[in-house]
Amino acid sequence: MNPFIRFITRRLAFLLMTFFAFLLIIFALPRAIPGNPLASLLYQIIQQAQSNPDLVKAVYKKLLEEFGMDKPVHIQLIEFLGRLGGGDLGTSIAFYPRKVADLVFSYLPWSLGLLIPATLTSWVLGNLLGALAAYKRKTLTDNFLLTAFLTLSQTPYYWLAMILLYAFAVSFKFFPLNGAYSPGKTPTLSIPFILDMLHHYVLPFFSIIIGAMGGWAIGMRVMVIYELGSDYVSYVDSLGLPDRKILQYVFKNSMLPQITGLAINLGTILGGALITELVFSYPGTGFLIFRALSTLDYPLIQGTFVLIISTLLLANFIVDLIYAFIDPRIKTGYVGE
Amino acid sequence: MIPRIIKDLFKIKKLDISLGIFLGLMLLSLLGSIIYPVDPTSVVGPPERPPSSAYPLGTDNRGRDVLAQLIGGIKNSLYIGVIAALISLGIGVIIGAISGYKGGLTDSSLMLMTDVVLVLPSILIMMLIAAYLKERNPIFVSIIIGVTSWPWVARAVRAQMMSLKAREFVYMSRIAGLRDIKIIIEDLLPNMASYIFMAFVLLMSGAMIAEAGLSMIGLGVTKGISLGIILYWAQLFESVRRGLWWWFVPPGACLVALASSLLLMSTALDEYFSPRLKGG
Repeated sequence: MNPFIRFITRRLAFLLMTFFAFLLIIFALPRAIPGNPLASLLYQIIQQAQSNPDLVKAVYKKLLEEFGMDKPVHIQLIEFLGRLGGGDLGTSIAFYPRKVADLVFSYLPWSLGLLIPATLTSWVLGNLLGALAAYKRKTLTDNFLLTAFLTLSQTPYYWLAMILLYAFAVSFKFFPLNGAYSPGKTPTLSIPFILDMLHHYVLPFFSIIIGAMGGWAIGMRVMVIYELGSDYVSYVDSLGLPDRKILQYVFKNSMLPQITGLAINLGTILGGALITELVFSYPGTGFLIFRALSTLDYPLIQGTFVLIISTLLLANFIVDLIYAFIDPRIKTGYVGE
Repeated sequence: MIPRIIKDLFKIKKLDISLGIFLGLMLLSLLGSIIYPVDPTSVVGPPERPPSSAYPLGTDNRGRDVLAQLIGGIKNSLYIGVIAALISLGIGVIIGAISGYKGGLTDSSLMLMTDVVLVLPSILIMMLIAAYLKERNPIFVSIIIGVTSWPWVARAVRAQMMSLKAREFVYMSRIAGLRDIKIIIEDLLPNMASYIFMAFVLLMSGAMIAEAGLSMIGLGVTKGISLGIILYWAQLFESVRRGLWWWFVPPGACLVALASSLLLMSTALDEYFSPRLKGG
């Protein structure tokens, strides 16, 4: 068999296995925990039946149908997998009768719009600063940068968000306090609305950039230091190659793990910037997940998590493939030429 | 030999600074309740008071003392950090050691399992488990964090194990007829002590951050206090919008100080023990 096809098949098998393991966790958790949380949720819903009997009855029926609580476990599992296979992620309780997939797609654009630019910017800045620190190592610059990176990498985005919000929206009223656009406005593609949106965008954007930069920089710094100590660098250095040229090579060789990190990071974007969105009341998927978790909307929790994990695993798989194509060492190691 | 290493270690400035910050905060949490005997959960004064001589860090929305909360919070966050790190370290070292030492089918199957857990984002799995538990005490939260954050330890220990087991002293022990488990525990693991300590430090800072994250989305401990819980209350009752900075700045600052001093500690040790990072 073609070694490359064998490699892809192996990775694909791993991908499917991991996905299945995750589905099993999702399926088993509510059923394995003592006092069955699903059963108590159903009980609560029955109790609320007086307030709005028709709606509650409909929710109850839908839940019973989706979780199949009255059937034996193996039938429940088969039905659960069958529904997912058919692309049905279930129906939300808190937003009844909206479908989980439908909800996610209406919240998703805000998360993507916030996270993709912020992640890319912090990645670029982090890599450049990390490489700079490595190049200047053993100097004051490196010491300062490293301390800053270390502290930033351990600073939760949401706390940074709270500080920025306090400084630039409460103390100095430069930016709005919350939301993605002013209340009362409806999203349109007009200039005033876009300006309003950008005004709301600044603080969340910077809290993510600053918070994420440290981690990227630390990774890059260590990689560049290792590369600078390698034989090929001493060799070309002894040949008299100018520093700038050497740095170019080193930078290129240090990029690979960073690219993987970026791809995997982009894979989790579907989950939004969970707590940051919460602090800013930013209407992304993170905010949706928080609503789901705080109202114990189990179908919504399960559905959003299945979506996030799917994109994440897919990102991992794509990274593996790209890696095999561009890195000759891995190509020979895994594919075997 | 040992005193020289310790003397050398104390010469590293990064290590001294980080150890100082960490121990300082730890002492504050341990001795704080003796020096400052205020109950963090009871109402002691008027609500939302800024820092003053009576309330050094002010009071929260119900008139509870923020400094007392901070003292209790650091203690519980450290406790959760240590327990969670011990759990991850236990799982990671056992799986990594067996996998690296045995090789073959045991290795492939254990590593497959590790890869599966590694790929699934631990914060999501933590949230998933926590969401189904009605009551969560610090031990539960530690277990949730511990059982989801071990895979990288297992991989690292495995790699170390594989290079160590080919050394001569291991062959000697084998020839002497020692059992595998004895060789692993007596010959191999002590050789990784510095490494395992670094892993513990990193796991601990990760666990404290994870605890705060879980708490912020309302999935932290249900009884008692922690740095994350203080931040959660501060967020829930709009402390930022109402300008109550003394409520949300100190717990976050303590968390960042604890976690980054631990990270700095492991970075310093890493530079000391791995010549390539240390050398010029």
